[in-house]
Amino acid sequence: MQFNTGQRELTLKIVYYGPGLSGKTTNLRALYQRVQPHLRGHLMTLDTADDRTLFFDTLPLVFRAGNLKVKLKLFTVPGQVMHNSTRRIVLQGADAIAFIADSQPSKRQENYKYWLNMVENLKANGLSIETLPNVVQWNKKDLGDATTVDAIAKMRLEGKQPVYEAMAVRGEGVVETFLGLVDLTFGQIDKHYLLSDKLGLDRRQFVEEVRRCLVDLPTDDVAGTN
Amino acid sequence: MAESILQKQLVLGELLDLPSFTNVCKTFVDLYKIGLKVFDQQGTKVVDMKVASGDFCAYMFEGPNGRRLCTETVTHIKVRPLDNLPREDGNIAVRNCFSGLRYLMIPILYEGDLLGRIIFGPFLPDEIGDLGDDLKALEGEFDLRKAKELIDRIRRAPETTVRRIMEHFARIVDVLVFTSHRAMISSQLHIESVTESYREVHEKNKKLTDAMERLQELSRLKSNFLATVSHELRTPLTSVIGYSEMLLAGLAGDLNDEQKDYLKTILEKGESLLRLISSILDLSRIEARGVQLVRKLVSLDDVVQSALESVLPQSLKKNLTLTSNLSPAVQTVTVDGDKLRQCVVNLLSNSVKFTPAGGVIRVDVGPADHAPEAAGPFGSSGYFQIAVTDNGIGIAEDLQPKVFETFFQADSSASREYGGAGLGLSIVKSYVEAHGGEVTVKSEAGKGSTFTLVLPIEPAGTGIALV
Repeated sequence: MQFNTGQRELTLKIVYYGPGLSGKTTNLRALYQRVQPHLRGHLMTLDTADDRTLFFDTLPLVFRAGNLKVKLKLFTVPGQVMHNSTRRIVLQGADAIAFIADSQPSKRQENYKYWLNMVENLKANGLSIETLPNVVQWNKKDLGDATTVDAIAKMRLEGKQPVYEAMAVRGEGVVETFLGLVDLTFGQIDKHYLLSDKLGLDRRQFVEEVRRCLVDLPTDDVAGTN
Repeated sequence: MAESILQKQLVLGELLDLPSFTNVCKTFVDLYKIGLKVFDQQGTKVVDMKVASGDFCAYMFEGPNGRRLCTETVTHIKVRPLDNLPREDGNIAVRNCFSGLRYLMIPILYEGDLLGRIIFGPFLPDEIGDLGDDLKALEGEFDLRKAKELIDRIRRAPETTVRRIMEHFARIVDVLVFTSHRAMISSQLHIESVTESYREVHEKNKKLTDAMERLQELSRLKSNFLATVSHELRTPLTSVIGYSEMLLAGLAGDLNDEQKDYLKTILEKGESLLRLISSILDLSRIEARGVQLVRKLVSLDDVVQSALESVLPQSLKKNLTLTSNLSPAVQTVTVDGDKLRQCVVNLLSNSVKFTPAGGVIRVDVGPADHAPEAAGPFGSSGYFQIAVTDNGIGIAEDLQPKVFETFFQADSSASREYGGAGLGLSIVKSYVEAHGGEVTVKSEAGKGSTFTLVLPIEPAGTGIALV
């Protein structure tokens, strides 16, 4: 995280982690569609000819929250097994993690392995999942079965992190996951930098500002913010 | 790890290929006949092209007031702070020169960072079309007719048109910056990934070399130790057992029933001593060099059946019922089969020992209910469990955490009812933990116990930890 007090500028790096083909890039693409055009940067994808992420995708988001200029830099990691060193590089300086799990029963082991892989790569960067704000998104929820439902229920019961279900190809659950993580991340930063006290910007306002960067809100959401 | 390109602050001059960018700017200037300047964030000039304004500006520079006002304008357009937050209107700022000319400025924003600025002008706004009032006030210092003649050579255009041209140009610059940033990241990350992979392999090689040296030393010590123990302890014991068997077989003549009973006891205790020595040897090995696992794909059914067979004779003596229940969800696992079997045998032997005649012992195998804490929130899908349940004497709650300690006995009094050295569960714990698993106990005194082994289906990190 970078916080430039003089320029009142906050930069946060949010990394989407998870097994190959779990939908990290799809999440970013869906978000890109939802961000107001003048607030989003280019969605940069560095992929191979067969659409697999080679290095990462990135989507910058710049907006004002109260007196603060906020830059959210969203990254995905390459999911393929062989790109472990790139995953480690992309994790450098991460402020928050969205773990995109695959709901398909056949991918259960993959989720588990990539979580451990993430913990290890965070450690190599001097970071720890215990202190880093993180959420889990079970993507492709239409492809899950009863065991997926159990696994999700169990994870919610453990309550270590917020858990979301999504169908990123249709844009479902993507914004909820993102805003949930933004909420958690601001809470964490606020503890260290006391932004609420210094800038008069509280957690709820911050999330609302981020929500305002998005377009096509469902009607009930809009009603909620008025 | 070294700082990555992803953390680096971008500089406009490093992103653009200056000769080709200058060419693009020239085609713009030729087409629209308006001057164009580009500065980076540090104020360094990247491009500066004038169109027909040279003579007029030189004339303005001749008078002292003109020079002062002219310098003010030039400084202003170069250093005036621009709004660095993207706005829907494109963030264009306007500066009117005292002469009536006008400049437009637009920031080059990339990923929220200000990389520099583009300046269009000077041009004569259509809506003014005449010398500015400030210049007119300087009549005397300048010949206004000459000034008018020179200013008329400069492009006259409506501001809205210049704005549109400028927005268009800014978009082209944005694409150029994005494209070169993308190319720069690709090539740089390629190098970083390779460097990082190399570092990792190098580190692992060093660990392997160190481990090999340590193992060679331990192997030497172990060989000595094992040779001594097997010779000094086992050889005499083998004779005790062997001669007892020979006597019992009647090789030294007939024996009466009482002599046979005594001999059977000698034989039985001899064998139990041999087993004890073997257990101590196992533990010594574990302590000397940790548990060495030989992982292979094994069938859980084979492991459980073979363990059950080995305790069958004792359980028949006590008229115990042995049952097993294997879930089809986990059938094969990658573990050290011999060690896993020994773990199950040790648990079963305990159950047989501590369950009164007529009792029931059950083995349940399936996916793990709970994974070890370190396995993370997806852990249970990577683990299986084997639970051995009996309805024996159970273990008091306060003693439960201690049962895995070496030489521990729940009843350590001299007059205790049940034999054993207290090594079985300690060995189980070492073997299971070497696999990255854990063993737990649930028990209620007088009702029975359940010991559960939880182990990874595959060694952790298989497949994705290595590059």
